[in-house]
Amino acid sequence: MSTITVTVNGKAHTSTVEPRTLLVHYLREHLNLTGTHIGCDTSQCGACVVHVDGKSIKACTVLAVQVDGASVTTIEGLAPAGELHPLQEGFWECHGLQCGYCTPGMIMAAADLLQQNPNPSDDEVRHGLEGNLCRCTGYHNIVRAVQYAAAKMRGDEVTA
Amino acid sequence: MIGASLPRPDAVGKVTGATAYPGDLVRAGMAHLAVVYAGRPHARIRHIDTSAARALPGVLAVLTAADVPFNRFGLIDADAPVLCDDVVRYVGDRVALVVADDPASARAATALVRVDYEDLPLVGDVHAALHPDAPLLHPHRPGNIVHRLQIRRGDPDRGFAEADIVLSETFRTSWQEHAFLQPEAGVAWVDDDGRIVVETAGQWLHEDRRQIAAMLRLPEDRVVVRYAAIGGAFGGREDLGVQHLLALAAWVCRRHVALVWRRDESMATRHKRHPFTIETRWGARRDGTITAVAARLLADGGAYASTSQEVVKIATLFATGCYEVANVALEGLALYTNNVPSGAFRGFGSPQAQFASESMVTRLARALGIDPVEMRRRNLYREGSIEPSGEPLPPGVSVRACLDAVVDELARQPQSAPPAGWRRGWGVACGIKNVGYSFGYPEQATATVELSGADVIERAVVRTGVADVGQGSHLAMRQIAAAALGLALGQVHLISDDSAATPDAGSASASRLTLVAGRAVHDAALAALARWHDEERPACATVQFRPRATTPLAAADGAGRPNYCYGYTAQALEVDVDPATGACRVVTIISAHDVGRAINRQQVEGQIEGALAQALGYALMEEFQMRDGQVRTAGFSTYLLPTALDMAPRIIPLILEHADDQGPFGARGMSEMPLVPFAPALAAAIHDATGAWLSRQPMTPERVRAAVRRATAGEEQP
Ligand code: FES
Ligand code: FES
Repeated sequence: MSTITVTVNGKAHTSTVEPRTLLVHYLREHLNLTGTHIGCDTSQCGACVVHVDGKSIKACTVLAVQVDGASVTTIEGLAPAGELHPLQEGFWECHGLQCGYCTPGMIMAAADLLQQNPNPSDDEVRHGLEGNLCRCTGYHNIVRAVQYAAAKMRGDEVTA
Repeated sequence: MIGASLPRPDAVGKVTGATAYPGDLVRAGMAHLAVVYAGRPHARIRHIDTSAARALPGVLAVLTAADVPFNRFGLIDADAPVLCDDVVRYVGDRVALVVADDPASARAATALVRVDYEDLPLVGDVHAALHPDAPLLHPHRPGNIVHRLQIRRGDPDRGFAEADIVLSETFRTSWQEHAFLQPEAGVAWVDDDGRIVVETAGQWLHEDRRQIAAMLRLPEDRVVVRYAAIGGAFGGREDLGVQHLLALAAWVCRRHVALVWRRDESMATRHKRHPFTIETRWGARRDGTITAVAARLLADGGAYASTSQEVVKIATLFATGCYEVANVALEGLALYTNNVPSGAFRGFGSPQAQFASESMVTRLARALGIDPVEMRRRNLYREGSIEPSGEPLPPGVSVRACLDAVVDELARQPQSAPPAGWRRGWGVACGIKNVGYSFGYPEQATATVELSGADVIERAVVRTGVADVGQGSHLAMRQIAAAALGLALGQVHLISDDSAATPDAGSASASRLTLVAGRAVHDAALAALARWHDEERPACATVQFRPRATTPLAAADGAGRPNYCYGYTAQALEVDVDPATGACRVVTIISAHDVGRAINRQQVEGQIEGALAQALGYALMEEFQMRDGQVRTAGFSTYLLPTALDMAPRIIPLILEHADDQGPFGARGMSEMPLVPFAPALAAAIHDATGAWLSRQPMTPERVRAAVRRATAGEEQP
């Protein structure tokens, strides 16, 4: 067993975990943050994407002990309580989801993308989300949702 | 209200992570299940020794066949054991179920269950299944036949004799994996009233309940099935997956139990889209009139019946596509093999059948020097056309309008050049798919509407057991009720995810919920409104809607009235092909659909786009593979799914609204249709670009490159 201290969504947690515990299991089972999903066991689907120190990672590919001392943001902490992040608003407004299982991972991956590139082309959005699978939407509205958020974050006028 | 693109109320929970899917229901203190799978395709169980597994610390019980009150389940034919007793018939068969304090102990114990097997000869594919000396998977099913049917109309011999040209081809399709993103999971317990409660995801609450009750030999009212948020389905949750295993363990052990599957368990054990081999022959006159079609369709049903019987009937009925042909001779066969079971998947036999039929229409057109669109117009179903089963089509035949819409849109497309070295082609195809259950299967949906308020109606509560698998059925039901009652959406509350609190609406399948359940909701709303006007407070009404009856197909010639409604579609694809590598890029998709009436336009477009992505995956890259009864593609690292980069950048959905005579506000189902014409449209586009014909799905770069080489060498006819 190892003891780790992690800041998750702005709150410090000190936990005892097994060395083999994956970050995604730590978040879901120890902290009950079930918005981070598991869609595969082979790091393909991106349903588990969270931010570690501001960068998006697949939480099924890192161990909980590897984030000791780090700051983790999950979908639950992307926006202040009671508010929606422009990406969350965009996915809602643009019908960027159906079953919604891929959505938290998509949003977290897109948030990182927009940090690096606030004005992406559609093609750049598609490249940025290549590691995230969606089986329901056909991606068209996901691209629109990200562009909605990008425009809003730039302060441009937005249309759903 | 009707047609409005109202945003989904469930989106808030889904974008914030608050929504609970079945895997999110696991709580501390629950016992955890793990399944012991056969791991071998065909073997007799000599003995099962669970003592070592039971001795492992943390293990509470190890269940085997002897613990199952009635050890059979299945949607149509209960031929699958819950836990195998004598024989295992595919690698994903379940042999034992471990119940333990924690997931790790449960999994560890599965390795300690010792099963002594005697391997049996393998039935590896449909050809092996048909061999006269083939071992029988189910001894009471001679010839390994799940189902066989024939459909005959007119005089096929004369039809071929009258043809100026006759073309033959054999088409092959592979399994397709549903790959809904949320792997199967759930929880179960026995409640204070002695009822078994299962919370999970599925496609039909009341059918899950029926099968669980049968397994436990309980009356149905002792079983409660509830659905959490459903992470996609596409037909893949129609057969029981974890529901019955959860129920069994909770019932036997009297514990709260949880089961969360890994992706490889989901992929290696659950049913798939059927692989088909379709041998077909088409004759046409010089003017383009199709005179005769013969086809033999062989479907690999895998180890258990699932819905194979219905799938092969649908595929055989659509072996002539959406064309009126006077002379037909069709035979369909679904066979048992030691492969993973095949069953329901969006399209339900139609994509396979129409990959063949649409490809043949294009090939005939090319051979005759007729424009493929013109060839279609000459033969397409129209109002009153006769189906192969000998009766007129249900009213509302709109495939010609779909094709015309696509052709008009096509004419408006900007011209651009493909990348250097690539070739560009266009392909067109049409499609037909039934809406709702077929062949006399009882079809109904029931809804209850209760209106309350003081002077005016303040609130409506709608109860109906419709599963929202992500398609947005819950919002559609509320929009229909709100429109029928003249209320705001916020005044309409829907109760739909609990078998004990809702009447049966049938399954989320066959594109049927909007039409059938939507109509039940609509009619119940109007009936409740009438009682409201009669001063009943609260005013409550329950209505069962049953669409026009269908009939089974006659054994001798397939005569009958198979369906009460069809959805029609046409597509055009713009495709770039790299002849050197065989790589294909779909650039533009034009997809026209007669939806009767769009209840929520945004959701209809979402269904079109999502189905197109599955269609693109099916046509180009998705290939679930088995060899010698073993699964070779049990994960997303080996089974490739389309990403945002693979999907066509331009999608042009065209929504036609020719009102259906039975649907609420004229709506008819549409969710499967985009999958039907895609693969043949792609094959036509590849031919347009390169001159090569593909007859095998998926059209992988290797296959395309090989076909281009053959075409260049001049071997390809025509
Ligand atoms: S669960 Fe992490 S990538 Fe699929
Ligand atoms: S919305 Fe279902 S997987 Fe993306």
